[in-house]
Amino acid sequence: MILTPEQRATGRRNFLKAIAGTPALATLGAAAAMRGPVRGGPVRLGLIGAGGQGRSLLAAVNPAFADVRALCDINPASLARADEGLVKRKAKPIRHYVEWRDMLEHEDLEAVIVAVPLWAHADVVVPCLEAGKHVLCEKMMAWDVAGCDRMTAAAERSGRVIEIGYHRYYSAVYQAAYEGILKRDLLGDVHHARFAWHRNGNWRRAGQPPSPGYDPSRWGYPTFEHLWNWRLYTKYSKGLFAELGSHHVNAANWFLDSTPRAVLASGSVDRFKDGREAHDHVYAIFEYPNGLTATFSSIESNASEQHYEAFYGTKATLIMYNESEALLFDEGGSGAPTSVEVSATAGGAAIEASETKPGVAPRPSTAAAAVSTGGDRSPALEEEISRFCAAIRVGRPVACGPERARHSARACIAATEAANTHTRVTI
Amino acid sequence: MPATRTAVERLDLEPVRVGYGTTRAQSVALVVLRTAVGWHFLYEGFYKLMLPGWTRLGQPAAAWSAAGYLAVSSGPMAPLFRGLAHSSAMGFVDVAIPIGLTLVGLSLMLGLRSQWGCAGAMVFLALFYLSAIPTTGVPQSGAEGTYMVVSKNLVELVAVCVLFAFRTGRIAGLDLLWRGSDSWRTDR
Repeated sequence: MILTPEQRATGRRNFLKAIAGTPALATLGAAAAMRGPVRGGPVRLGLIGAGGQGRSLLAAVNPAFADVRALCDINPASLARADEGLVKRKAKPIRHYVEWRDMLEHEDLEAVIVAVPLWAHADVVVPCLEAGKHVLCEKMMAWDVAGCDRMTAAAERSGRVIEIGYHRYYSAVYQAAYEGILKRDLLGDVHHARFAWHRNGNWRRAGQPPSPGYDPSRWGYPTFEHLWNWRLYTKYSKGLFAELGSHHVNAANWFLDSTPRAVLASGSVDRFKDGREAHDHVYAIFEYPNGLTATFSSIESNASEQHYEAFYGTKATLIMYNESEALLFDEGGSGAPTSVEVSATAGGAAIEASETKPGVAPRPSTAAAAVSTGGDRSPALEEEISRFCAAIRVGRPVACGPERARHSARACIAATEAANTHTRVTI
Repeated sequence: MPATRTAVERLDLEPVRVGYGTTRAQSVALVVLRTAVGWHFLYEGFYKLMLPGWTRLGQPAAAWSAAGYLAVSSGPMAPLFRGLAHSSAMGFVDVAIPIGLTLVGLSLMLGLRSQWGCAGAMVFLALFYLSAIPTTGVPQSGAEGTYMVVSKNLVELVAVCVLFAFRTGRIAGLDLLWRGSDSWRTDR
């Protein structure tokens, strides 16, 4: 999405005007507010998988909500880097484990955050649920639909909370767009959406084994390269559709209250022919019911469009740009001021809130105020973990439970299949 | 005596005396007052006992301590209470107050040993009043009104004095089970 600075400024201004006065939070039932407190301290938490995303989640834990008791990872270097982060944040040291089963056995945990490679999600999450632990699992839900089904069934059997980590739900700018634009039907009928996540770089990460004799084969990785760059190998990963596309599909399913029924897709390794199996260029067309079609592209050879979700309605266009901005344009000309009649009480401030640019305490009372607070870095992950803890303590529903997560996972798994087979796959 | 009476007159003037010279309306009012004061105490105690905890909206609430309140005491007795806030006695105070409030609340709600309950309530309210006697005449942080000498704590203290004087446990409440006993000497 290439827009001039003036167009972006207009789109931001339109969006802020449109959401002015919208409550920042959906009101909860009066019954919840009328009841007294629930006894209990911070949730006793363990982290399974201390790689990049696991460490981001660890850094986002608010100690008032959760007490992280233990970490585990099969890569000692990841544990060491997690420790460095703890020292930097002046947090207390946390016990380490290599095997997550040992951690469950020796630690008195109520819940775990699972941030392991995609192929292991179901194999880790299901036993954790069966052991009575609540689970916050990184997205995508599972490597295959059977894994999603196993996780869903285990959650139902155990009665434990399971949330899949799509943190757009907790981003101030996405919440504002949903409450202030989508729920108020300001877009009109939406028949087309476009998702893009374009980058210009190599997904392959450079890394060295933690020690010369390090052998990850007992965990299913023949070499350290397979562990370190698991996203590039189909045994462990569903590639760009899972790692990037599922964010878009999940957000679109939320915004449009729908799920895709079929997908056509294409993909190939066009640029980085280095032995990887995951495509570095993928394209898909998701068919939703009621005449809605969404396209998705993710490429690794040009970043000019960066990433966005665009929703094209009969009355207006909403663009969620780079997870940090929301732009609104009246139908009739890109960059034109919107004709939405609103009071201009929330002028001016640039919208820079996103899951990677957090900070929501105390919560502003309006969506516009929430969005305008967003220049600081990332409350969305913190909010995600805090809401997960609140779900455990007081039963407040999580934003992305297994049902929602399964829908987007199924769509992205189907897209991978469609790209591999060059067919239209029914979801 | 007029031929027709208003509703209030019908309720109050008829000399339906309940034991100790109060009319039915007076008796009902006294028991309602006792119940309301009792609920106030009971919930204050219950809430503190529930901490550390979580609100139903999912926000954690830290363990309760009187130290913060005492540390910002005002009025003539402020130095005494501020000193207490930083003393080793706070451990006892933080346990005793929630339990005491709860017991007083239960006593007044149930009308069980209600004279003892009134006495406890008066002690608590006197302490609360003395720790923050409003002498500035301007709004104070954390207070929802503007007071001079008379605060809501003092008003509630006077209300409990009234309850104590009227011995409402003999009007309604579990104290009736002990009627005739000398469990509370002044209650006879």
